Amino acid sequence: MSHLINTRVFAAVGLAAAAATLAACGSSSNSSSNTNTVKQLPLKPGESPSQQQMYNGKKGGTLQVYNQEDFEHLDPGAAYFSVDYEAMYATQRPLYAYMPNNDTLAAPDLATAQPTISDGGKTVTVHIKPNVMFGPPVNRAVTSADVAYAIERGANPNIGNAYFGPYFGAIVGAEDAKGKVIANGGPIAGITTPNPTTIVFKLSSPTASLLVGALSLPLSAPVPASFAKPMDAKKPTTYGSKYVVATGPYMFKANPKTGEFLNVGYFPGKSSVLVRNPNWNAKTDPRPAYLDQININVGGDQTVIGRQVLTGTNTMENDTPANTIVKLAYQKYPSQIVFTPGAGDHYMAVDNKHGPFKNVNVRRAVWAAIDRTAVVRVLGGTLVAAPMTHFIYPGVAGYDQSGGASGPQVPWNVNPAGNLAVAMKYMKAAGYPTGKYTGSATIQYVGENAPTATARDEIGVQALTALGFKVHATYVDQATMYSKYCGVPAQNIDACPNVGWIRDFADPQTVLYVPFWGPGIVPTNNSDWGQVDDPKINAAMDKAALVVGDAARAQAWANIDRMLVDQAVAIPEDFDFQPNIVGSGVRGISDIWDIGTWDYSFSSLK
Amino acid sequence: MADAERGVTGLQAEGGEIAARSPLALFWRRFRKDRVAVVSLGFIIFLILIAAGAPLVVGLVGIPGPTVQNLSLTDAFGSPLGPGSGHPFGVDELGRDVMARVIYGTRVSLEVGIIGTVVATMIGTVLGLIAGFYRGAIDTLLSRFTDVVLSFPVLVLGLGLGAACGVRGCAGGLIQPGLGTILFIIAIVNWTYVYRIVRGQVLSLREKDFVEAARALGASDSRIIFREILPNLIAPLIVYSSLLIPLNILLEAGLSFLGVGIRPPAASWGQMIADATNIFQTAWWYMTFPGLALLLTVLAFNLLGDGLQDALNPRSGR
Repeated sequence: MSHLINTRVFAAVGLAAAAATLAACGSSSNSSSNTNTVKQLPLKPGESPSQQQMYNGKKGGTLQVYNQEDFEHLDPGAAYFSVDYEAMYATQRPLYAYMPNNDTLAAPDLATAQPTISDGGKTVTVHIKPNVMFGPPVNRAVTSADVAYAIERGANPNIGNAYFGPYFGAIVGAEDAKGKVIANGGPIAGITTPNPTTIVFKLSSPTASLLVGALSLPLSAPVPASFAKPMDAKKPTTYGSKYVVATGPYMFKANPKTGEFLNVGYFPGKSSVLVRNPNWNAKTDPRPAYLDQININVGGDQTVIGRQVLTGTNTMENDTPANTIVKLAYQKYPSQIVFTPGAGDHYMAVDNKHGPFKNVNVRRAVWAAIDRTAVVRVLGGTLVAAPMTHFIYPGVAGYDQSGGASGPQVPWNVNPAGNLAVAMKYMKAAGYPTGKYTGSATIQYVGENAPTATARDEIGVQALTALGFKVHATYVDQATMYSKYCGVPAQNIDACPNVGWIRDFADPQTVLYVPFWGPGIVPTNNSDWGQVDDPKINAAMDKAALVVGDAARAQAWANIDRMLVDQAVAIPEDFDFQPNIVGSGVRGISDIWDIGTWDYSFSSLK
Repeated sequence: MADAERGVTGLQAEGGEIAARSPLALFWRRFRKDRVAVVSLGFIIFLILIAAGAPLVVGLVGIPGPTVQNLSLTDAFGSPLGPGSGHPFGVDELGRDVMARVIYGTRVSLEVGIIGTVVATMIGTVLGLIAGFYRGAIDTLLSRFTDVVLSFPVLVLGLGLGAACGVRGCAGGLIQPGLGTILFIIAIVNWTYVYRIVRGQVLSLREKDFVEAARALGASDSRIIFREILPNLIAPLIVYSSLLIPLNILLEAGLSFLGVGIRPPAASWGQMIADATNIFQTAWWYMTFPGLALLLTVLAFNLLGDGLQDALNPRSGR
């Protein structure tokens, strides 16, 4: 799942850049339409994630997890990666958390109930449960001050949080008038704790909806200041890399006196062990936490890992299995694989500001020419992907309103297999009488150097070549692709295939805003890869950000989605579905709110 | 070369008579007795013909070109279909014909192998001649520089250059992405081996009588180097070059395997093998055929090199 992981990271960087100008939005709760019973799947072995029985598991036992990828951050203040989240939501308790089969509304976790929004969307009040305990070595009850400190430290540069600005920047005292984060880890005026079980957020703009959504992120999980503050003074903090305190049902195996888990319960790049948190109180938590222990083994060949898991008993893979393993599981171990829609999307970013793609009809032509069904085939077929038809992906509010699976019925979008005749028509409209590009530009095309990624990117090259473009295709590793080329507007890269996006929580704004909002374009680490900067779209986004109410927000962002399709701001490739596999003795429960990864707190042994 | 030496060597007894043969005739007489080397030479000539006439060959076989995608030749899981009548070597994950890609991959391998070797040999020969002939400070400087170059980890260097020059080239356009980068890596690394061999030979040859004679007759340094010494290096250079070609082919395959080499959609054996690794269990043909082509080609060049060594230097007593 590296594409999604890294997307999340880069999304964060872009979000941070855009934070300065995040406009207000007011709503009382998260919004979405539940579209996770996506129809494209011909057959769905195993249990449908959205209908899975979260409870009635068997208690006890040790789960063996085999992952190719290791954690990036185990500090709740820094975690921003799907694999990190697997451990975060098992060991920490943010104010709100999504239940595995619900991707529309986060349930109270540390909080007692949904937040109270007042003052016209400028004040958010949350009450927390009084009897939630920190794990060893802190061993005391969590208070609202611990939540306040957890969020305040998100602005501490030593922590390295990627989304404080965009989601928490509206808190009074967090940013200056220009939108620059001025908080540095110390107290923030807009966060108060009138009593040990109440926390109040005062906002400088009516952006309560966005803040409430963000309270489901790991940053809101309490951190004991007395324990973590000395560590947070160091750059980087050692909280999360050497020491960490749990509040969830599990904790990394650690020295009970010091809380040190590095090389005790976590061996970077090799393995980690999650054990029960002795201070966890089941009565305060909706998570059943059936397993006694979770051993996570890291590294190895994807196909080897996949076979090991499928032929094993108490085994699980919690990152994306190889295509061949998906096929094997589907054909021979159908009860051991599930597919979760709503795992993000991928598209080809094209330079809207310079070069041939500045012309909207050229972009429409490429959209019409690309064979999205071929992309799906290369990715492993319709079990793991569907042709992307617009920018809000399945599972996100506004997906249905902007056209669902087939998307807006505009000529360049109606044939997912590509239609060269339609494409040539738009090339003619763009000023190329033959229907093919006759200019002198060579398209600089930078993709990812990985077997499946490169293959899918070659489909884009074929579409461009069919339209007469001379393409200079280069494939580099994913980090270089983003950091050196696609995320640096000055590089003037014409096309970056296979870039993608994933929501941070259930709000369509988190899907469309950063990648397509022009004022957010920055010189480096830019996430508006296509330099989309359409004044009408920008204004519509600013307006939609202020819309209140689930349905209204979904419709407002769906309308923006249609504008993006109309302007063909990027070339769609695929909607992602996440395959997940387990051994024969495991009852896996997957988190459809994230990208479908297995939830350690709900999975059990048979 | 000293004519007196050549004449003595060329004397052969046949039917009681003494017949003079040219060095080339002698070489061929010895070479053709080595059947393995002859077969290898035949295979290499076959490869060269295949490479030169790739479009024609693909057309004659009746298979689609190497970049023609046909996703209908993959199953519902995206797994490519195996060998069959329309696609004798099967197809890859984009439905491209593996046979066509293997054939076109021959071009890349031979281009890199031969051009890279020629460039490396030229650089190594010139520098080796200069170092061996002049000795002293020039020799020390060049030899230490060679030691430095030899200490470069080739694959790491390749990965670095690939990253630095991969998109727009580098060194003011001197190094172009793709084939240009590969040739540059081969040239800057492999000349050192040629240099060492040439330098060693020149150190010995410069003390020979024919060199002294040329000097006594007033020949310039460049005349002595290029007209007197260089011809004596032809045999070892041919042998070493023939052994360098397969190394360069393998290096290209390795770099392409690591994603530094030839850029898709152009076909390269190394890149095909790399692409095949993640689907080997369901598409054995995708790795097998380019792998086989690589194996046979490298083997052929190595066996040819051995044959040349024996034929050009019969006293080596292999």
